[in-house]
Amino acid sequence: MISALLPLITSADPQARDRSFDELAAGLALPELLAESEHLDAFRRDSENLYERVRALFFLYALHRFHLPARLEAGRSGLIPFHGFENLLARRFGEAIDVFLASQREHGPSDALCSALATAYHRLAFQTLADQVRRSVRTVRGNQWMFRTGHPKDQPLRFRPELLRRAEDGSFPLLCEQTPVRMDLTHSAWSDIFFLGMDFPEGAKVLNISVDLGVHGRDAEPLPPVSAWLRVIEQPVLRLVSVDLGSAAEITSLAEVFDFAKDHLGLLKAAVIASGIVPPGIEGSGQSLADLLAQMLGPGLGIELASSVNDIPKGSRLAVSTNLLAALISACMRATGQAESLTGPLREHERRLVLARALLGEWLGGSGGGWQDSGGVWPGIKLIEGVAAEEGDPESGISRGRLMPRHRVFSREEIPDSARVALQDSLVVVHGGMAQNVGPILEMVTEKYLLRCAAEWRGRKEALGFLDEIIAALKAGDIRRVGRLTTENFRGPIQAIIPWATNFYTERLIGQVTAEFGADFWGFWMLGGMSGGGMGFIFAPARKAQAQARLQAIMSATKRDLAASLPFAMEPVVYDFRINEHGTSASLLAGSSALMPKGYYVLLAPQLLRRDPKELGTARRAELDRFAGACRTRPELRGVVQELFDVLIPHGRSENAGAQVLEELLAENGFDRETHEQLRADLRAGRIGLAQNRLPANTVIEDAPHREDPGPHDPARGLAALRAGEVAVVTLAAGAASRWTQGAGVVKSLHPFCKLGGRHRTFLEVHLAKSRKTARLAGMAVPHVFTTSYLTHGPISAFLAAEKNYGFAGPVMLSKGASVGLRFVPTARDLRFAWEEMPQQMLDEQHQKVRESVRAALLRWAETAGEASDYRDNVPLQCMHPVGHFYEVPNMLRNGTLAALLRERPQLRTLLLHNIDTAGANLDPALLGRHLESGAALTFEVITRRIDDRGGGLARVDGRERLIEGLAMPREELEFNLSHYNTMTTWIDVDGFLRALGLTRDEVLANDATRINAAIRGLAAKVPAYITLKDVKKRWGHGQEDTFPVAQFEKLWSDLTALPDIESRFVVVPRQRGQQLKEQAQLDGWLRDGSARFIEDLCEFG
Amino acid sequence: MEIRKAVITAAGKTQHHLPLQTLVDRDGQTKAALAIIIEEVLSAGIESIAVVIAPGNAAAFREAAGVHAERLTFIEQARPLGYAHAIHSSAGFTGNDPFLLLVGDHLYLSHTGQGCAAQLVALAHVEKCAVSAVQSTHESQLPYYGAVGGRLADAARRLYHVDTVLEKPTPTEAEQRIIVPGLRAGYYLCFFGMHVLTAAVHRVLAGMFEKNAGNEQGVHLRAALAQIAGSERYLAAELEGRRYDFGVKYGLLTAQLALALAGRDRDEVLREIVELIATVKSSK
Repeated sequence: MISALLPLITSADPQARDRSFDELAAGLALPELLAESEHLDAFRRDSENLYERVRALFFLYALHRFHLPARLEAGRSGLIPFHGFENLLARRFGEAIDVFLASQREHGPSDALCSALATAYHRLAFQTLADQVRRSVRTVRGNQWMFRTGHPKDQPLRFRPELLRRAEDGSFPLLCEQTPVRMDLTHSAWSDIFFLGMDFPEGAKVLNISVDLGVHGRDAEPLPPVSAWLRVIEQPVLRLVSVDLGSAAEITSLAEVFDFAKDHLGLLKAAVIASGIVPPGIEGSGQSLADLLAQMLGPGLGIELASSVNDIPKGSRLAVSTNLLAALISACMRATGQAESLTGPLREHERRLVLARALLGEWLGGSGGGWQDSGGVWPGIKLIEGVAAEEGDPESGISRGRLMPRHRVFSREEIPDSARVALQDSLVVVHGGMAQNVGPILEMVTEKYLLRCAAEWRGRKEALGFLDEIIAALKAGDIRRVGRLTTENFRGPIQAIIPWATNFYTERLIGQVTAEFGADFWGFWMLGGMSGGGMGFIFAPARKAQAQARLQAIMSATKRDLAASLPFAMEPVVYDFRINEHGTSASLLAGSSALMPKGYYVLLAPQLLRRDPKELGTARRAELDRFAGACRTRPELRGVVQELFDVLIPHGRSENAGAQVLEELLAENGFDRETHEQLRADLRAGRIGLAQNRLPANTVIEDAPHREDPGPHDPARGLAALRAGEVAVVTLAAGAASRWTQGAGVVKSLHPFCKLGGRHRTFLEVHLAKSRKTARLAGMAVPHVFTTSYLTHGPISAFLAAEKNYGFAGPVMLSKGASVGLRFVPTARDLRFAWEEMPQQMLDEQHQKVRESVRAALLRWAETAGEASDYRDNVPLQCMHPVGHFYEVPNMLRNGTLAALLRERPQLRTLLLHNIDTAGANLDPALLGRHLESGAALTFEVITRRIDDRGGGLARVDGRERLIEGLAMPREELEFNLSHYNTMTTWIDVDGFLRALGLTRDEVLANDATRINAAIRGLAAKVPAYITLKDVKKRWGHGQEDTFPVAQFEKLWSDLTALPDIESRFVVVPRQRGQQLKEQAQLDGWLRDGSARFIEDLCEFG
Repeated sequence: MEIRKAVITAAGKTQHHLPLQTLVDRDGQTKAALAIIIEEVLSAGIESIAVVIAPGNAAAFREAAGVHAERLTFIEQARPLGYAHAIHSSAGFTGNDPFLLLVGDHLYLSHTGQGCAAQLVALAHVEKCAVSAVQSTHESQLPYYGAVGGRLADAARRLYHVDTVLEKPTPTEAEQRIIVPGLRAGYYLCFFGMHVLTAAVHRVLAGMFEKNAGNEQGVHLRAALAQIAGSERYLAAELEGRRYDFGVKYGLLTAQLALALAGRDRDEVLREIVELIATVKSSK
């Protein structure tokens, strides 16, 4: 058979190559698709060409993720070989693929194997791409030597004599590098992702502007926001100081330089390494840092490197950290003679060198921006574009484009001063306050590009047209037109490629600004990877000042409204900005002007002042003397003495305020101190812990027997129950979206996660919309209960009131959580167990190093903070935890919700319980009918397992069919013998459940707290308490975050299936009904595989 | 092209005493380093030699030259205005003739019967152009030497066309500008301290000094050679031999050992070294 898909990769004709993969694959039947998979897999193994291999891998991913599952027999289960999964975790993707393919040959294709193959191909594709970029970074000429230098004596760099020349007072001069940040005026449709630039150089183009910034209302004028400071010091150490992060360290060993996550100095360390001062080749050599410094500076001397960011917060989408890295590298390159210009702006070849090193630094630090991000190094307005690789380039024959783009700075003739001023007079740059991870977005862009998804490909070409038009409008000084074009770009190609580029917050801001400013609002402009953080609003110049003031107010008010729904990291700010026409520039400060920035002294002077002046050394003493003098004369240092006193002698801040609030919240939410102390004692003694969660090793765990699809069920019985008003929905909405927002702590149910029916919808709205549709079909209102927790009750209650229950006609009730726990600092034993004993995704080499270093730091933290001590060092809500969904239904008894429901619906017989993120769960009459006919107390819905469905499943445990949690599995691999996964969606027979509790309806209605509590305790005692680790974020500074793993306990609903006195049944449901949305990165696939469409069909929005 | 003249520079602030150091030559004779250098030069068929010295050093140098003293012309560099200026001081001596240029703080040890200077002079004679001796040098030594970039002219004779000359480049600059095909990664062609130059170098230097009047120290031989590389045929040659810079730490010791191990006292010196290794303990 001749492959229909291979020509998309191999054809010399661009028209054939650029055809949409999805459109072609959609026309193929199952046997043809399987044959295509074989062709593609053989091709990717044989092809020598990197990009052919990568495209074949993405095709294989898409076949297994979207096309094959749709054609396989519905409900057919399958197993994923554990050995393949282990290979995946170990990043041995090629071997994983071989294991999965062998299983497919033996057992035939299945949904489960397709998911495993899709994941493996996807990861292998990105690994191949990332490896290539890294290889290219290393092979850039001027970078290579650093990887060969393995001994201090090999170090060829020497510090410039100007920096070694002491003043009379013994001090060394100070090199200060000031760098603007960059704005991307055209938005590049993410064409500055390295992979895109290297495969499609002709389509990689951005208009990039270097800007100075100031916070509106705070700073007198915009300044280059990023600065790096370097000097020689009298100690043979590397002193690194991050003024903004309030972190400083004196590094004495080479190993410490390469320990990126030990402190908050990773960026400075990356700069020191990427600039060649500590060459990457010397890592692991065991040599002495002092010897290396002596080679460059002479004996007994060291280097101090400090960074400062003028309080511009994270997530500004202005590439602050990349430009800071570039500034630091630039200063280091000047100091070591690698840039000829010691002061002033850099020359073009020097800028390119700094760019090459910044790329290297980003790779070393484990981050990775776009190739335009170091744009602040260049002056003014420039076009940055991809360049085709030519003979002699390291990329030649490997990729179509070069790693490094070309920068063309527009002259004043091309874009006149008047146009530059006009842009400044119209544009309001803001930080909306959201700091989101754009990593998944960049992966989606790459994937869609390589698949040439039709809409995306059209969008990409359209975006190039916008670039030309925006440049033309800018040259003509027509800013109104620029605004119109950036808006169209945002509404058109950007969202065609990535619908998630916009969000509910951004849309509300645009809506309010449009309503308020009308025709004087000329346009919206998205900065960087996605909106919500750094953004631009373009206004008629006459309204700009007013717009700045109003935008601050609008953003703050909107943020307040949405604080519980969306992950805001900081208060929104409006910036003042100015185009910087110099790019990065340095000056050499000597004598009385050789002073570090103010924040440096606030950070370090207290320690120095506490020491005996004789220990300080002549240069330090002289510096403090200069600083004292400057405090008297320099206006910018006014007030610094007071700040120093505040640090030296901390005055009575109400440190106990947070603790008081925590105590109150614990008391309010049913915290059981006695149980807590018991748990602590058990944790410390090792009686409970991650290892103890597991069932005994001799437990027999087998896959549940295969379930034949019973075929379509008559919905009549279910419909009759619905018509009679015998059914209600219970949605679990207590969760804080820790996985969804990576620990940011928002209310998941209120997250406007996706556009459905033309608008962003919250999970809450989607669930009510399904109940609304059911109610209309049944002709009877459906009661809908949302269970809440201390984290979510207030926000959900306020939100529903504000939205008037989204116009839902039936009763909407909130069941407030009535139990809460206090988190513990984890034990080192549990941390090690989680990291060493449980299967972990191995990261690529550099990320893995960073992770190991973070883990060492976390172990130190756990040991110094006190294992199993209370976790109180965070905002109170991050210290408390919900105690597991076992308690959700019992809580409805405790707090009277069930009683109220029974009073409202005495005929109530059935509850449908489901997770907030099971978007497809609804009152399906056929499933309801089957549940009713079975007579079971609980009917659990299960789905066939895919590789991401982790955490237990349906099993026969010692002969009894039940759900088993992943935490309880004696061995990880046992989970892979289970072909069905628990969705948590449960049909509950109210009377059957009450019987299990030993209660009657009358006792529930009588609301006898003692009786009810005793019944719940009795049931709870029969289910195990699991210890788990949760990542919580601690926010500090300006949008900075740290993540800590903390310990908590939970009891789980599905363990009820282990109790012999509760009759539990299990039913297999389609994936689209049962799948859960756990991570935002899932959304794109969810939209593309038809799941979103499926949900829309279930809903009736008000 | 006949090369009959040589210039040895020994006027540098830190190097003017170095040629006066005493060493034991390969034949076991004790003599000043200057004498060894002069013998190297004479073996290349050079007839007259100029030594550029700091004022007042002539007597000491004459004594160090021993029997060769009469062949020498001493040129005093009135003020310490740098290496290029020292060379240019010899313009009157060299006139329009090509000349062999050496530094006074290097010794050369040939691996063949023909001395290093003789090899270089022979090459320049055949190629009829300026030729600089170069040595493949590890990048860690870049802070000490000038380096050239170019392409192979004749692999068998290890001759290169020079198109770029950099003075003490950083490894970054070296990697970008002077990678020479055929060399190992991390190695560059660095000057050997020995050149055959034509009168063109004096013309170029004269122009540079005129432009930089008052800032003579801002004029460098590297820049002059770079200019020459752009305007006339200019080659670099890897010689069969090694240079020993006795101006660096332990340089004199290394040079002495090299001479001794290449000469008749090799066994005796080896025995001494082995004994030292066996008996002297590190106090580190």
